[in-house]
Amino acid sequence: MKNIQKTAAGSRDRVANGYRLSAIGYRLFCVGLIFIFQFSFFSPTKAQGILGGHVTGNVQLDGQMSHADSVIGADDVPEKLLMNARADILYSNGDFNAGLRLEMYQNPLLGFDAQWKGSGVANYYVSYKTEKFGITAGHFYEQFGSGMILRTYEDRYLGLDNALFGVNVYVRPVEGVTIKALAGRQRYYWEMAEGLVRGVDGEVNLNSVLSFMKESKFRATLGAGFVSKYEEDELIPSEDPTMRLNLPLNVGAASFRADLGYGNWSLQAEYAHKGQDPWIDNKYVYHEGNALLLNLNYSQRGFSAGIQAKRIDNMGYKSMRSLSGEMLYINYLPAITKNHTYAFLTMYPYATQVNGEQGLQADVMYKFKKGTLLGGEYGTDLHLNGSLVAGLDTTITGGAGTEGYTVNGGLGETLYGDVSLEIAKKLSKAVKLTVTYAYQVFNPVVEGEGHKGLPLIHNHVAIADLSWKLNKKHSLRFEAEWLCSDSYYDESDDHHSDRRAGDWLMGLVEWNIGTHWFISLSDQVPYNDGIGNYYNLSVGYTHGATRFQLGYGKQREGLLCIGGICRQVPASNGLTFSLTTSF
Amino acid sequence: MKRILITLIALVLGGVAWSQNAKMPQNITIKTLDGESVQSSVIQNDGKPVIISFWATWCKPCNRELNTIKDLYEEWQEETGVKIVAISIDDARTVARVKPHVEGNDWPYEVYIDQNSDLKRAMGAISVPHTFILNGEGEIVWQHNGYQDGGEEEVIEVVRGLLKEKTEDK
Repeated sequence: MKNIQKTAAGSRDRVANGYRLSAIGYRLFCVGLIFIFQFSFFSPTKAQGILGGHVTGNVQLDGQMSHADSVIGADDVPEKLLMNARADILYSNGDFNAGLRLEMYQNPLLGFDAQWKGSGVANYYVSYKTEKFGITAGHFYEQFGSGMILRTYEDRYLGLDNALFGVNVYVRPVEGVTIKALAGRQRYYWEMAEGLVRGVDGEVNLNSVLSFMKESKFRATLGAGFVSKYEEDELIPSEDPTMRLNLPLNVGAASFRADLGYGNWSLQAEYAHKGQDPWIDNKYVYHEGNALLLNLNYSQRGFSAGIQAKRIDNMGYKSMRSLSGEMLYINYLPAITKNHTYAFLTMYPYATQVNGEQGLQADVMYKFKKGTLLGGEYGTDLHLNGSLVAGLDTTITGGAGTEGYTVNGGLGETLYGDVSLEIAKKLSKAVKLTVTYAYQVFNPVVEGEGHKGLPLIHNHVAIADLSWKLNKKHSLRFEAEWLCSDSYYDESDDHHSDRRAGDWLMGLVEWNIGTHWFISLSDQVPYNDGIGNYYNLSVGYTHGATRFQLGYGKQREGLLCIGGICRQVPASNGLTFSLTTSF
Repeated sequence: MKRILITLIALVLGGVAWSQNAKMPQNITIKTLDGESVQSSVIQNDGKPVIISFWATWCKPCNRELNTIKDLYEEWQEETGVKIVAISIDDARTVARVKPHVEGNDWPYEVYIDQNSDLKRAMGAISVPHTFILNGEGEIVWQHNGYQDGGEEEVIEVVRGLLKEKTEDK
């Protein structure tokens, strides 16, 4: 997806019916909560909880202090201390559940949109769920199939929450058949989008429904879904300023899917189609959308192989047509590349291009058994992955208000490619080594159209990760990373003002003390062309489901990506802390 | 802001003190590795303890934990009868790799997929790895976030404690 988050200027007047509590209401609400909680705290039947039910949930508090650093591009924070906090309180009593979430951004951490600023009850619901039937009223998260036409979810680390507020129902008339229906409007920061979202989805597990397939080695689940969004008309000029666009008020999207298996083989396929949906990021063209996702996998003990193919054509689907950026997507289109976790492998991350892309990914895992030549005394694990993503080959036929473009059969420009090999080997009872080599090709255009025409960046990345268990109580982990890139930094040239350019080295030492404490020290330095020195020291303490972490150092500006969705994080320089607990 | 902090702290203190025996949610839909939808009530172990581990294919500490326990699992089962249920929160990006990942790593666990994190959310977990222990009645008696070397010893000690409690009760 287009991952540079833009402020939705001009779109705020299109949201209404905020549900932020008034100050008095909020105070009353807090007092009420404390009363309920403290009542139960002193209650003699504490294991029973409130009225025979139970309360669970979690609390999280993140803070950040940052000061200016012109070398890495960090700005001063006038508030001195930024803080995000939230608490999820869940109540359950048999088949009945209720939940609410308090959120507070005073003021939001760096990288979170300024529109998060504020505090209040961000999410609340009641639900009644049994095996055969379930209903949720309030905020809910739902997904149809792989999410290509509908997925509402939240990711607190990315500052994303597109929860629907409305009603969600499921019915299971017979075993193996599920029918879902929903209607609602999406959360937009502290308000709600005006667009309505309605959907139905059905799924049948043939092995449960058909008696002759009950014992079959062939397994099949089929499904189909339909989603419709409604938005009021608005004035959007066409290329000819005397004309306005005749906007479709209802936009439908449908998908069909199959999940098949036979013995060690499995195949998942999903096809989605979307009606005419002119919106800001497709430049208001009327080309219909479609997407195809295929996954073929083979696996047995100690070996697996899989290929994945994906093609997307104009599948951005939002409940607000005038809004660019990451918010208010109704659907979810994941990236087709490996979800890397090492720092230098995520320096140039790929993000889905909702307007059009096509790609392939292959993945192989193999375990050399203990006692074999390559397996040695403890066995060796091998993991090979490769992916390649290209744009669509299109011919532009017009601008806003027209079909826009036609798709030819070939490949468009290369957007991303990588191949990585990871070998993990236990060297002795106490020492384990993982080495990784990767080669990457990265097109800067995936980070926004403003980067169009920049040369492709080619990277070699090598990583060694060694963990060493000193004794029952202490263990150490060392990580060394090397990034060799053909990009370079030149302040005077706009095309080369990217601070991550050049070649980099990184070292990390992590010391685990017992199961409660850890201390880690790391440093990333460029040694050729690049700029900055990003050191970090963190200390963490975990007890049960409570964690506290304190960090000091510099954070590189860049994309923070989780699950293929990315958020631009500005550079920061200073202290961060985080406290989380689940109960 | 002070008010909010106090509220949060009060909530934690209130919550921790008495919600320890909440039952695990029963009617959340999760999927088997074969793609069949089932209710979370399938997670049980005939009156013996269950260890629930939320994980993801891309999560390094999760993989370290589940690979470490793999070598001890047989021993644990013989001693305590405990069952490990590994619940993947991989989303559409990586979910198709869950079954190959489990088989490729030769994990002997019962595995389910919680693709939109519905069960994880209902159980109040924030990030992976997150481990819960259920007693024989299906009540959540212990939970832990994160994994550091040796963390598995803490897990099995809790399970042993549960069995001890049970024999003392008799």
